[in-house]
Amino acid sequence: MEKIVKELESRFGILSHREQRPDLGEVVIEERNTVAMLEWLKRHGGYIHLTHYSVVDWIEDSQFQLVYLLTDPNACHTLMVSTRIDREKAEAESIHALWPEAVTYEQEFNEMYGITFPGSPRQGVEFMLEGWTDMPPMRRDFDTVEYCERTYGFRPGRHHVDPKEVRQRFQAEQKRLKEQEAATANANNADDGKSSEAEAAK
Amino acid sequence: MTIPNEPLVSKEVQLWVGPQHPGIPGNMAMQIWVEGDTINRGITHVGYLHRAFEKLIERRNFYQTFPVVCRICVPEPDTNEYLLAAAIEELAGISDQIPEKAQWIRTLVMEMSRLAALLMVVGGQAGGMGLGAAPQWMVALRDYVLDLFEELTGGRIYHMYIIYGGVRRDLPEGFAERAEAVLQKIEERLPMIDNVIFESAVFRKRAMGVGVIPKEWAEQTALTGPVIRAMGIPRDVRKDYPYLVYPELDFDVVTEEGSDIYARALVRRREIDQAIDLIRQILARMPQEGPILARTGNMLRWQVPAGQTYVRAEATRGEFGYFIVTDGTDKIRRFHVRGPSYVHGVSLLERMLPGLNISDLYPLMGSLQVCPPEIER
Repeated sequence: MEKIVKELESRFGILSHREQRPDLGEVVIEERNTVAMLEWLKRHGGYIHLTHYSVVDWIEDSQFQLVYLLTDPNACHTLMVSTRIDREKAEAESIHALWPEAVTYEQEFNEMYGITFPGSPRQGVEFMLEGWTDMPPMRRDFDTVEYCERTYGFRPGRHHVDPKEVRQRFQAEQKRLKEQEAATANANNADDGKSSEAEAAK
Repeated sequence: MTIPNEPLVSKEVQLWVGPQHPGIPGNMAMQIWVEGDTINRGITHVGYLHRAFEKLIERRNFYQTFPVVCRICVPEPDTNEYLLAAAIEELAGISDQIPEKAQWIRTLVMEMSRLAALLMVVGGQAGGMGLGAAPQWMVALRDYVLDLFEELTGGRIYHMYIIYGGVRRDLPEGFAERAEAVLQKIEERLPMIDNVIFESAVFRKRAMGVGVIPKEWAEQTALTGPVIRAMGIPRDVRKDYPYLVYPELDFDVVTEEGSDIYARALVRRREIDQAIDLIRQILARMPQEGPILARTGNMLRWQVPAGQTYVRAEATRGEFGYFIVTDGTDKIRRFHVRGPSYVHGVSLLERMLPGLNISDLYPLMGSLQVCPPEIER
């Protein structure tokens, strides 16, 4: 980590650096040096793989942070290269010429954050969303609840059955059946009494 | 009207395979252009299963995130639980406080999860080639592992068992014996599975020499998991970036040569044996006594210091990673999933399509283990 940081410092100038873990470090650089540094890291630094590529929305600073996670598979070390771009003029240089898989990331960031990468092949092509016309939804100021309330009507939901009501209905039915049974038994007893009296009179 | 008597010179037809198609591994679609049976080019389309997990997590406090992350991957949810816990523990500065027994149990759960997923995917690979019985058997074997998960965590599919500070509960009484019985049951049936899949003429004919990835691509793209190990390159997160108690376990990285569908299936098949062996090692060597959860205070009121990290683990599909940023509040500032399918299922797959026979599309996607939810999160 120390060696690579010194090299980057002398070649490109870095704003800050830190070691998160022995296998993970971070260097923060200015935007204008980003692609040159990434290219150097890939060609000469051993960081040949783009393991991950991410965006963080710092709305309070009116900035987007771009994070490139590059890995040196032989040294088993990953470097997080961070830079910040203006949130209002959200545009960054594409790295698809260095790593073809960056096309997918840049397509996603274009759709989800509204960041444009001039020259990247799938800019403006739908990735996850379909017919989306609102603000890019992963921006911090996109309010999901407000969007849902505005876009989708209220749906009353399914007819539901309250177990308490069912139990009460069941108990009432049981009570009614018992009473009916008792009434029938009384009527039968009364009939039996009359018939026995009639037999005795005979 | 006269019928032209000359043969057509070129006839490229555009086809959509999926999103509702038995040959597609999940809710995704392939837009392909074919000429006869040969694919000229193709594009991966996702978004049919976009549930905005990353956005949802940015609006929840730390403890509320577990029920969300496990749903990113149905066959292997525990990798997500572990990665979330590991990243937040690191940012909160409590990684060194996780009890040893909890680390062993976490490793056990990760390997059980790998075993269950591997059983399903090896069967699924054969199923895509018309071998109907093998996937049924493999899913049945996976169910035995799910029985163990149900006993341990209360859930068969989503467990929410690994939490910040450790795990939710200890192993039940007699769990090791029941786990051993399940492992034996699986081992008894594996030779039969080998016979039906790997010795099958149909499988060999359709898998050998098909879907070959040139070795030089390994240097150009961040390929991981069985995809790279089937090229003969011993790259495994468990060895390269040791985590949990893997450094204490005895295992070698499984590799094969050939880099075709057969080699990738064989790597997964051998990793089933490896997972069984690792589960046995863990159950035999893990501490029997001790705490399973660090004292973390009220997790509902947690505030994690500002920071940024990337954690990774070896899932059955390859390197699974979480990039997480915190800002000192009670919520995660940025949560970004790195699933292996993001590379394997889009750029790699699209690069491999030209010249592929259309009937080999599903076997290829199966062998790359494309999982749409981790592409669209």
